[in-house]
Amino acid sequence: MKTAALKIEKVSKSFSGLQILDRIDIDICKGERHAIIGPNGAGKSTLFNIITGLHRPSSGRLFFFGNDITRKSIHKIARLGICRSFQIINVFPEMSVLENVRNAIVSKFDRRFNWLSFLNSDEKINKEANRILDLCELGDVKNSPASQLSYGLQRKLELALVIAPDPILILLDEPTAGLNVEETRDAIKLIRQVTEGKTLVIIEHDMEVVFSLADRITVLNFGKILVTGTPDQIRMSKEVKDAYLGRE
Amino acid sequence: MEIYISQAIHGITYGMLLFLVASGFTLVFGLMNILNVAHFAFYMLGAYFAYTISHYVGNFWVCLVVSPIMVGVLGLLTERFLIRKVHKEGHEPELLLTFGLFFISVEAVSIIWGPASIPLQGPEIFEGVVPFLGRKTFPLYRLFILGFSFFVALGMAVMLFCTRIGILIRATVADADMVNALGTNTQALFTGVFAIGSALAGIGGIIVAPFLSAHPAMGMDMLLDCFVVVIVGGFGSLRGAFLSSLMIGTLHSFGVLLIPRLAMVFQFLLMAVVLSIRPTGLFGEKE
Amino acid sequence: MNFRSCFKLKYFIIAGLTLIVLIFPLILSPFRLNLAIEMLIFSLFATSFNLLYRYSGLLPFGHGAFFGIGGYVTALLFNHLAHIPLLLTLSIAAIAGLVAGVFIGLFCIRLKGAYFAFISLAFQMFLYTLAFSWRTLTGGDDGMGVTRPDLDLPFLSKISMMDEGNIYWFILVIVILGIVACYFFLETPIANSIVCVRENEIRASFLGYDPFLTKLVNFSLASFLAALSGSLFVFFEKFIGTSSMNLDMSLTVVLMTVIGGSGHFLGPALGASLYILVQDWISNLTDRSWLIMGILFVFVVLYLRGGVISLFQSEKMGKIRLLIRGRGN
Repeated sequence: MKTAALKIEKVSKSFSGLQILDRIDIDICKGERHAIIGPNGAGKSTLFNIITGLHRPSSGRLFFFGNDITRKSIHKIARLGICRSFQIINVFPEMSVLENVRNAIVSKFDRRFNWLSFLNSDEKINKEANRILDLCELGDVKNSPASQLSYGLQRKLELALVIAPDPILILLDEPTAGLNVEETRDAIKLIRQVTEGKTLVIIEHDMEVVFSLADRITVLNFGKILVTGTPDQIRMSKEVKDAYLGRE
Repeated sequence: MEIYISQAIHGITYGMLLFLVASGFTLVFGLMNILNVAHFAFYMLGAYFAYTISHYVGNFWVCLVVSPIMVGVLGLLTERFLIRKVHKEGHEPELLLTFGLFFISVEAVSIIWGPASIPLQGPEIFEGVVPFLGRKTFPLYRLFILGFSFFVALGMAVMLFCTRIGILIRATVADADMVNALGTNTQALFTGVFAIGSALAGIGGIIVAPFLSAHPAMGMDMLLDCFVVVIVGGFGSLRGAFLSSLMIGTLHSFGVLLIPRLAMVFQFLLMAVVLSIRPTGLFGEKE
Repeated sequence: MNFRSCFKLKYFIIAGLTLIVLIFPLILSPFRLNLAIEMLIFSLFATSFNLLYRYSGLLPFGHGAFFGIGGYVTALLFNHLAHIPLLLTLSIAAIAGLVAGVFIGLFCIRLKGAYFAFISLAFQMFLYTLAFSWRTLTGGDDGMGVTRPDLDLPFLSKISMMDEGNIYWFILVIVILGIVACYFFLETPIANSIVCVRENEIRASFLGYDPFLTKLVNFSLASFLAALSGSLFVFFEKFIGTSSMNLDMSLTVVLMTVIGGSGHFLGPALGASLYILVQDWISNLTDRSWLIMGILFVFVVLYLRGGVISLFQSEKMGKIRLLIRGRGN
């Protein structure tokens, strides 16, 4: 592949002596849909935290289209075009759904420090925010405070906050956690729709989601990569079966 | 030369006194996550209660025992009925509440005992001076402060590290929920530590009164000093409080010696430096 | 129909109040007028405090530092560079506050919660000590008297500032301008950024907001306005002393804002006004005004978290107002 969209190079991370990630090496191509799976505690969320700048790796480096982002701050990484969702809902609870998405739009249009216009009457920003809301099927609840939404709708808001800034690389951390079967199917459809043309990395436990979305899958176990490959390869892999089901 | 030694001793003395008061403050924070500005009101009240008691019972030692008990009870009531109400709403309301209580105490003291300093006599056996390095003398009472504070600090260390209660306290600082789940009544522990912390502050006030005199502004003076101690040492860390108390005490002494009017500047510089390099203090937890 | 008449009534009341406020110099005694002026100045000061407290979620215990800086810079300019136009002097003082705000903010904003509260207090005490000790510059404990210059408007005539009515109207205009500017500021994207960072700092970072810079901008703005109010104070009192830079000043503004209610834009102004009125009223009855203020403060913290203004806010209003300025505690 040419310059990888995201190159994770020998990234390790330990917290107070406990090794969470061990020399992770993944290359993700532009436009790829890549799933990361593995048992709980395998280090998946930590990997996301490192990619997005919340933590620094203990060793190793990360490159975004050749750009070294290992030591960059969270907001700088976000502005490069990397956006993530959270496993536990992490929105702006007291603000309305519209305001939530608007926060993302204001940042996208680089108007964070704009003091010369009134936000409520800004056509461009509000129009874009409404567009995203409609895209994520949140138009009906746009004036409700985020904390008062049902869980399913809050998940949609999480998704909306990820795509609103129009990122190049999208990281979704268990986007279907807690959703029932029907809601999950909806979510898959929505995710596929809104991530069209973008690079997607998704952490998931639900295998149906993984196999229906992913081009390639990486399996993590105890902080190490077990295997990386296409869905078919993973399905056939003995190591994966052993890790998940235990040796007989 | 003698003056440096005497200032050094003076500095260590003041440092130990700072530790006596700051330790209660930082322990309560480490244990209960409460920023109890009223701690310094307890400090002041210790001295004032002792003063009143001394009118009935002339004996300093009696005051030293009874007054802290009164302050401790006051602390207990404060925690039980006031602080608990706002604790769950976060640091801010708590900070505001304890500050408000401090404020009220200072005003009340001004009204009841008057705005001027009140004289509190130290124990007779410690009056007078001790010969020191040839022709100089050193006030005996200051040595008493040094010794007594040190003794209290030692007692605290023994309690925390050698007794069962101490272990419980340290465990609760590390993980309150776990200790609670294991069957200990952490709420009672909290209230108890709070009361003892308050009593310690009261003792500090009594000890300092014969030396620096007691007045309504003493709480604020101690607050500012202790605050520097806790910032430098780290909120919640007794070890940090101990070391930084000694540092601040010595700095204070020498500052007063060298540039009397700007003594505060040294403390301030130290705090600014520590905050720039290590915002949570020398031994504090990383946020 | 009901809605319409409510609407009209509201505007009628506002117009009526405005009229009354405008004619204060004509109907109030000089003493009462002075109280009104103090209420104006401290309303601006408390509003600046609330910018930090409510919109950034930062509680500074040393906000008085900027009030004092504004005051001292103004006094020095009045005394040494008296020929500078009045408006320019006020601007310079306010900008001095802004610069100090940037500098002090760089240190304080790295910290949160109580750490922030106390370090801002430490800076203020440092400046207080400086003001106290540097007698040649500041007059130390004795303070400095100043001569009040007249207002020279470019195309109009000179307006004498000896006349109390003129002083009142001048301060009224500046304070209203300041508060109105704040109000409109809260509608801008930058104010949204400030609130956004307060609501969920982590998420805001992940959306590209720089939390440190955002808070610093707010801090500087708050210090600008605080310095402006300190400046007006010196202009009014014709005197500056260390009391403008001391702990009491910092604590007073906390008291005012909490008692008035930080959840509403005008809460701090209400608190400041109430505070000054009650202080005046109580000190006629007894010596114990501070004690009563303290008790009132504790009462508000325990039982009336939204402050006095929450008594006027109905629940329904709170739900409808989902705009930035309508957010409750």
